[in-house]
Amino acid sequence: MEENKEISAEPHQHAQHQEQKKENKAEHHKIEPKKESPKKSLKQVIFEIYDKKYKTLLIIPFLILALALAQIGYQIYSTGDFMNRDVSLKGGVTVTVPYEKETDVGQLEKQISSQFQKNDVSVRTLRSTGAVVGVIVEADIDGNDKAQVDKLLKSIESSLKIDLGKVDYGIEIIGSSLGASFFRESLIALAVAFLFMGLVVLIYFRTFIPSIAIILAAFSDMVVALAAINLMDIRIGTAGIAAFLMLIGYSVDTDILLTVRVLKRKEGNVMDRVLSSIKTGMTMTITAIISVIVALSVTQSEVIRQIMLILLIGLIADIFFTWILNVGLLRIYIERKAKKGITI
Amino acid sequence: MNYKLKKLLTNWRIILLAAFIVISIVAIHPTLSKGVAIRNVIANSSASLAGIPQPKPNVLPVAREKIIAINSQPIGNADDYYKYISSLGPNRTIQIKTTKGSYRLTTKGDDLGLRVYDAPSTNIRKGLDLQGGTRVLLQPETKLTQYDMGILIDNMKERLNVYGLSDIVVRDANDLVGNQYIVVEIAGATEEEIKDLLARQGKFESKIGNKTVFKGGKDIVYVGRSAQEARIEDCNQVSGQWACRFSFAITLSQEAAQRQADATKDLEPVYDPASRRECYLSEKIQLFLDDKLVDELNIACDLKGQAATQIAISGPGVGVSQDDTITNTAANMKRLQTILITGSLPVKLSIVKTDAISPVLGEEFVNNAILMSLLAILAVAIVVGLRYWKMLIAIPILITMLSEVIILLGVAAFIGWNIDLAAIAGILVAIGTGVDDQIVITDETLKGEASNVYNWKEKVKRAFLIIMLAYTTVVVAMIPLIFAGAGLLKGFAITTIIGVTIGVFVTRPAYSAFVEIMMR
Repeated sequence: MEENKEISAEPHQHAQHQEQKKENKAEHHKIEPKKESPKKSLKQVIFEIYDKKYKTLLIIPFLILALALAQIGYQIYSTGDFMNRDVSLKGGVTVTVPYEKETDVGQLEKQISSQFQKNDVSVRTLRSTGAVVGVIVEADIDGNDKAQVDKLLKSIESSLKIDLGKVDYGIEIIGSSLGASFFRESLIALAVAFLFMGLVVLIYFRTFIPSIAIILAAFSDMVVALAAINLMDIRIGTAGIAAFLMLIGYSVDTDILLTVRVLKRKEGNVMDRVLSSIKTGMTMTITAIISVIVALSVTQSEVIRQIMLILLIGLIADIFFTWILNVGLLRIYIERKAKKGITI
Repeated sequence: MNYKLKKLLTNWRIILLAAFIVISIVAIHPTLSKGVAIRNVIANSSASLAGIPQPKPNVLPVAREKIIAINSQPIGNADDYYKYISSLGPNRTIQIKTTKGSYRLTTKGDDLGLRVYDAPSTNIRKGLDLQGGTRVLLQPETKLTQYDMGILIDNMKERLNVYGLSDIVVRDANDLVGNQYIVVEIAGATEEEIKDLLARQGKFESKIGNKTVFKGGKDIVYVGRSAQEARIEDCNQVSGQWACRFSFAITLSQEAAQRQADATKDLEPVYDPASRRECYLSEKIQLFLDDKLVDELNIACDLKGQAATQIAISGPGVGVSQDDTITNTAANMKRLQTILITGSLPVKLSIVKTDAISPVLGEEFVNNAILMSLLAILAVAIVVGLRYWKMLIAIPILITMLSEVIILLGVAAFIGWNIDLAAIAGILVAIGTGVDDQIVITDETLKGEASNVYNWKEKVKRAFLIIMLAYTTVVVAMIPLIFAGAGLLKGFAITTIIGVTIGVFVTRPAYSAFVEIMMR
């Protein structure tokens, strides 16, 4: 810590100076100038903690990550799967009913779903040469559980107002639309993707820390979003998987911004550069969060809601993982370099 | 102001963006179309006998032949069409007016042999989950273990992917008495194509004098599909029927080449009786598909006993007109190439039934998604406007986002990409990271205006350094996803890569040029 003093003492003063300049500008009508006040403002306290205790603060992101991993571990332990899959990813039972009237599929889906609160139901129509010939109801129930299957059939009977005894309907137990190997393959692909990202960053900055930070941040954003979705007991479909992948793009943007500004720029000192990155980076994240919230509040589509919810959680998590975790790791790295007599 | 406007209009980066937008709108080709488009003409049906041509597979949606009226009765949509057709009895003569001509048909039964759908209003193709498609229930001929079922499904997916039908779902199914099925849902394919592709086992064998030399799949290392390596040629008309030949190059594995050398080493050379010059071996090489002879080729004498790995595969195609024949020959070639690449299915399949299936996400989703995107884009513009307190920043960001949507949809229409959920997610990422980049450009260029340590060019360079690094990182992250099995990840990764690439090389430079001209 001794050597560190000269690096961190100076930034603090400089930054404080800037802060005051800003505050004076905003509150110049105040009679009492800030300098003479013995009590520090909340903003200053927060800044001081952020500036000085960055190592202690690292506990927060690591704790969040640990909790998220614990949730996923518990999910695997209790359900045998790391997430709640919806009917398209898990498979289930499909009932094909001949039915020759035009129907409102959405309405039908709601009616049947209301009797299967715990399951996911999807309804589609079948057509042959233009005319409706049937309805397919898909639900993620156990096909060998006769009571459940009968309940589904009853529910279809009452919703369509037909007697299934009189028509030639079919029941099939159907597998996942993405196949058994999908999750294994995508996890491998994701691991390779993280590795590639790390490699690009490593080649550019010629040091491991930013690579590790960027992989850790992208990974954590996805893991935290997954844990939160699990806690909310939301079933994930193909849309959800796309949303998790979208987080990579958002995560990378803030991390690269921070790392370039801190390691490659010369103006100001480390803390100045961190603060300028926060200003730009938070504009990016807040803009994204607000547009996601707008989408969430407007949409009536369950699928869009799922995508937006995952993005929202991921973006909020990204704030912690970029501005505490990544900043902390970078500062530790700079501090180590300073000990060797290299200043950045 | 006039000076600035002139500068804007003559800036090459802004001109490039404008050109991209114009080309994209042309590619999307929004139209107010009425009528029903012809998806498929069934062979030997009344429609086909009347001379209504089979639509070519690559024709753009808007350019498809459309039925406008039948017997002077206007046809507005697919419901109109099917209602009108079902009211006709057999042996009636009707007049069908299309966008390309007029046809006289005699009805056979209820079905004219046309498969139609509401005429598309743009060239954007919607994917399986947004538009629906065909659902095929297949049954394997023999009972399969869970393991074999997995192999079969993977093989079918691969085969459909090679065929270019990326938008597919293949799932296994059982009924309650234990019969096994496979459910395939597929967008943008006709029933015939599916039957051709899925119900055939695709057992490919090449034999020389009853000795199997190589089979599809493992024995073949590479199948040439480029214009240089795969050709359609020798088209000519013989007694009213057209015939063409296709040929393409393949590379055999070393073992297969050795088998070929062993099979040819004892053959006798035979000279062509006409020229007395060309020398062939006494046995031909025969190509079998599902135990049926597709083609047989002479083997040149200099290949005797040679373990040649490079060989050419050829076969015929026939049809009623030259165009038709070329289309059929190309289809035969593509099918054979697919089978050579993927090998045969482990079991024969029979089609139990095919139906058109409605999409998982219907019209409501599409409308909702459009409304939501517009609002989200507006929200971004407002937030950015509030943050910088400058209309000259908010408006160009708004314009950039909208132009990115247009250009991405234009590219999708141009390359015939199906817009599905994964593609929409990719487009959202491209636009979202685009906003991030514009904020970086704005902050880097407007920051420290007083300090003037760096000139404008330097500032833009610094902004693009961050942007290019973020871009490279995202692109390399997407590459492994392209190769990860299922279509979902592939679609997402490819749209994301196309989206961010257009952003980085077209829309963002234009934005930075705009900021430079207006703010400097």
